[in-house]
Amino acid sequence: MAEEIRDSFVNELREIKKTNKELVVLVSDSTSTCRIKPFLEDNPEAVINVGIAEQNLIGMAAGMALGGFTPVTANAAPFLMGRSNEQVKNDICYSETNVKLVGLNPGFAYGSLGPTHHCLDDVSTALSFGNIQVFVPSDPEETRQITRYAVNHIGPVYIRLDSYKADNIHKDGYRFVPGESVVIKEGSDLTIVVLGTMIHTALTAAAELEKQGVQAEVISLPSIRPLQPEGILQSIGKTGNVLTVEEHSLHGGIGSIVAELVLEHGLSCKFKKLGVPAGSFAPASPRSDIQEEYNLHSDGIIQEALRLLNRTKNG
Amino acid sequence: MVNPFNLAFPEIVDRSKNIRKKVICMNYHAGAGHTGADLSEADILSALYFNVLKYDPVDMSNSDRDRFILSKGHGVGGYYCTLAEAGIIEKSHLDLYLQKNSPTPGHPVRQKTKGVEFNTGALGHGFSVAVGLALAAKMSKRKFRTFVLLGDGELQEGSNWEAAMSAAHFKLDNLIAIVDRNRLQLGDRTENIMALNPLAEKFIAFGFDVHEIDGNEPEEIVCAVTSALNVKEKPHVIIANTVKGKGVSFIEDEPKWHHKVPVGSELVHAIEELE
Repeated sequence: MAEEIRDSFVNELREIKKTNKELVVLVSDSTSTCRIKPFLEDNPEAVINVGIAEQNLIGMAAGMALGGFTPVTANAAPFLMGRSNEQVKNDICYSETNVKLVGLNPGFAYGSLGPTHHCLDDVSTALSFGNIQVFVPSDPEETRQITRYAVNHIGPVYIRLDSYKADNIHKDGYRFVPGESVVIKEGSDLTIVVLGTMIHTALTAAAELEKQGVQAEVISLPSIRPLQPEGILQSIGKTGNVLTVEEHSLHGGIGSIVAELVLEHGLSCKFKKLGVPAGSFAPASPRSDIQEEYNLHSDGIIQEALRLLNRTKNG
Repeated sequence: MVNPFNLAFPEIVDRSKNIRKKVICMNYHAGAGHTGADLSEADILSALYFNVLKYDPVDMSNSDRDRFILSKGHGVGGYYCTLAEAGIIEKSHLDLYLQKNSPTPGHPVRQKTKGVEFNTGALGHGFSVAVGLALAAKMSKRKFRTFVLLGDGELQEGSNWEAAMSAAHFKLDNLIAIVDRNRLQLGDRTENIMALNPLAEKFIAFGFDVHEIDGNEPEEIVCAVTSALNVKEKPHVIIANTVKGKGVSFIEDEPKWHHKVPVGSELVHAIEELE
């Protein structure tokens, strides 16, 4: 059944809290942003609201971790890696405090609110900090599993959590494994590697491509760090064509990661990154319109895939 | 848990002298360091480690220990010399200050040095972390107190005031912030660069229990902590008026000694003054 994945996150926290008394949630006036109410009602003492003060949010979370708690911070992604950048770097990552950072509504989720609220560099920023694990769930079940893994894991974790109502796209019995990429749909002509909830759009595009005789293999990357590259490399080795899709900057996101893998492993393939190029701000428009502008919609993915394959066919 | 030394005031002063001599020798041999800050804070650290803080020098991971965070991480030289004087780290580690893979690196690193609670160096971080620790103690009903030493120039970082606001909001009377108010920062006097005064009034307005003392007098530091901890439901700040470079005449109150170290005959002259 379709569920907003922020609700999946909060519902899982509720479950975890039943047996984990050290779990606390820190918010920065972001109780509605993270839809924490059901958790708050059960555990009013375990939600700490620091007000609109994101630097203090992260510093306090680090201190609470030193004091024996397992803090989960939940606030809007644009005000996490951006506003609290140095606190994340020093207080969480360098100091190796047991804090879980959840960046909400990333990418163009805030659409019409404009570039102050768009968040396109959180994954690349987190990856630059050496030790923090980085996860991007794409459906309710995966969100629940990643949330539980993050709380149980000792050490810094960042979760990029979209505001997205989705059906489960993984097979029954799916088990999230840190490091593993996940083949959602098999194919032999083209590998589409996707970040987060864009997987739903990519699957729609892949279904349409199939009607046009193109068998796309669609791979989800819920675990950006750690990342075991074998699954991606195997697929690219098979198809010889790769398209990466992310609502993130093209610099330092999964497009960059896959490009590095291709070069480092000496693979020969056609390659195209879909995402947000540097040098401009997106317009303040509804999310779907911005996605269309960057070809991050089903038709855009189809067009790019066909273009890539035509190039291959044309040699 | 108790302070393992519980020294009387004259003995704390003796320890301050030892710390200062260690600082001079360590920075001289390392060829680098923040000598002015190291000397400025020596009496505060001496009062804390030899009278105020409750800890076990052998087991610095005991969860009941008082926590101390050096938010002004560049004062790490004075910190290491205090930890060595208290027997928490080996004195020989001072000889390795700033060297490759040293147990005593150029800013505090908790993974490297016994007794160091948190990694600092970038300014404006320690206060929030201390607030989190103090809140954790309250929420888990533990008795440890959290002390954080702030530089005065550091208070120009806005993050400190986010931390201050929250400390008062959460009524953290188990949190003691100490400001090493030596009135100098990297480039010049604080009041010339970006004025901090009226500092006490700022903390009062933020809801703090405020004490202002001579921060180079251990007796005043100990008494201020004792007095502060009797005030309930408010976080405490001790504005410790100090002299940067205290104890060595040619280092005292000189902006250029922020990160200058003794060279040549300055070593002998400094030690003579500290004897």
